[in-house]
Amino acid sequence: MSASLAVNLGGIQMKNPLNTASGTFGFGWQFEGFYDVSCLGAITTKGCAKEAWPGNDQPRMADVYGGMINSVGLQNPGVRGLVEQCGSYLAELRERDCQVICQVAGHSIDDYVAAVELFEELAPFASGLEINISCPNIACGGIAMGSTPEGAAEVIRAVRPRTKRPLLVKMAPARVPEIAKALEAEGADALTLINSIPGMAIDVRTRRSKLSKPTGGLSGPLCHAIAVRMVWEASQAVSIPICGVGGVTSGEDVAEFILAGATAVSIGSQNLFEPDCAPRILAELEAWVAEQGVRDINDLRGALEC
Amino acid sequence: MGAPTPSAGRLANALVRENELVSGEIYRILLEAPELAQALHEGQFVNVSVGGEAKQLTRIPLSFTQVDEQEGTVELVYALIGPGTRQLSRVEKGETLSVLGPLGNGWNLSAPLHRVLLVSGGTGTAPIIAAAMALAKMGVDADVVVGARSSDLLWGIDALEAKVQGEVIAATDDGSAGEKGFASEPALALLAKHDYDLVLVCGPEPLMKVVSAKAISLGIACQVSLERTMACGFGACSTCAVKTVHAMKGACMDGPVFDASEVIFP
Ligand SMILES: Cc1cc2nc3c(=O)[nH]c(=O)nc-3n(C[C@H](O)[C@H](O)[C@H](O)COP(=O)(O)O)c2cc1C
Ligand code: FES
Repeated sequence: MSASLAVNLGGIQMKNPLNTASGTFGFGWQFEGFYDVSCLGAITTKGCAKEAWPGNDQPRMADVYGGMINSVGLQNPGVRGLVEQCGSYLAELRERDCQVICQVAGHSIDDYVAAVELFEELAPFASGLEINISCPNIACGGIAMGSTPEGAAEVIRAVRPRTKRPLLVKMAPARVPEIAKALEAEGADALTLINSIPGMAIDVRTRRSKLSKPTGGLSGPLCHAIAVRMVWEASQAVSIPICGVGGVTSGEDVAEFILAGATAVSIGSQNLFEPDCAPRILAELEAWVAEQGVRDINDLRGALEC
Repeated sequence: MGAPTPSAGRLANALVRENELVSGEIYRILLEAPELAQALHEGQFVNVSVGGEAKQLTRIPLSFTQVDEQEGTVELVYALIGPGTRQLSRVEKGETLSVLGPLGNGWNLSAPLHRVLLVSGGTGTAPIIAAAMALAKMGVDADVVVGARSSDLLWGIDALEAKVQGEVIAATDDGSAGEKGFASEPALALLAKHDYDLVLVCGPEPLMKVVSAKAISLGIACQVSLERTMACGFGACSTCAVKTVHAMKGACMDGPVFDASEVIFP
């Protein structure tokens, strides 16, 4: 008998712990040519706001040692655009037993509230909503609001009453224990961390940033050890479930997050480098669980010994 | 209404048949990838993964120059521009590379065509050669202007002269080969001289901007192939933004070829 991989991420029942990181997985359909996306426990869609955003100027990405840096600036089609373009696909994906977590973006508290209300009205397929208060690439909203416990709490206090669906919060890689506690106190059902790490990459010949803006967000393997530490800190601080994100390239990386206390784990940039990586990572995770000799993957959560 | 259509790109392990220096910093790699060779359409590109280089985890987008469907081979040309292409240049005959393709839309050569002007600069010459080969097969006349910074970075002239029915003009910034100056100068002269029904341009943005503006002012259809830094190549990340008069579009799925009248150049 193979072990049970099913987990519950703050009310979202997933058949396995694998999820995808917002912004690295489009709206899911982009990957259907590579493998059956419904093998994942859940997907998380690109952050969408109450209206479409054009995003930042190009160049929007550069390669850096051990990963990449991006400054997409949350280009998105808006909630209506998402529903029109891929609502029927996402509804069908849910019927295929894959949960659909929709990420919510905003420039202000009113923006977040309006976007949540639109999701409530137009997106019955959403298994849960993830509030992004940690985007490093927009001038207001995003990380500007989510980098203090007070700012983060204020956003969740405003959106919490607008939805009964599981509410997740995407956190920045900063002040994790304090902010996690503040979010738990406001009724967040789960925490997703980490978002990309603010960084810079400079072309020394032209003396210009390699992006259209001075700074961007770092992602990829370079983030992994930092993310594992932050997930471990969050799991010590709160009792709500955590979705670990950052530099996952293998089943072993997923296992590290689970041992550090994560309930679910998202694959991010690796989806872009190796578009068919998810089935491989799932198989590697299954092999690890079998090797650990447990009946249920939940027995391994937070099982770090030190 | 179902889901939007995913990219036609597929992953394959391609055998490296040849990987050699062409001139200056320009390399040519010949890959054995039969399904890819069948599927590629001129102006499309492939994303090549290089292993063992921590500074290049994203795939390198490369336009193809020629395919040989019988042999099942695809020829790519690349310039050494960073750690990723340097690592690619070290790959040896007999090794395999993970390639993703076909990606993007490619040139639209469907209208009835009589005479076409092709203009390229730098590595932009790769998709221009692919277009020249297709036009030659269709029996359409084509004049080509190929630009480079200097003679050692100029390539593709022989392949073009062997195939095209028309003039092939080289231009270098420093005058070390062909005409001295930017490729735009002979291109604008040709536009004034002949009646073209299509202009294709791929190269630095200033070149594309100048040549396409002239073509449009003369009422000639013009397509440009845009280069962007891109993390995926199949529509999942929005890093490959192209500003157009309609909306923000993506170079990997909506392009790399755009109708020039639609593009907002910087
Ligand atoms: C191109 C790109 C776009 C992203 N867009 C978003 C986004 O819209 N919302 C978000 O919360 N995180 C976004 N992220 C961050 C990822 O979700 C993830 O938190 C981060 O990349 C770390 O994971 P990784 O190292 O596995 O990529 C983006 C990352 C990349 C590379
Ligand atoms: S490169 Fe990822 S969307 Fe175009």
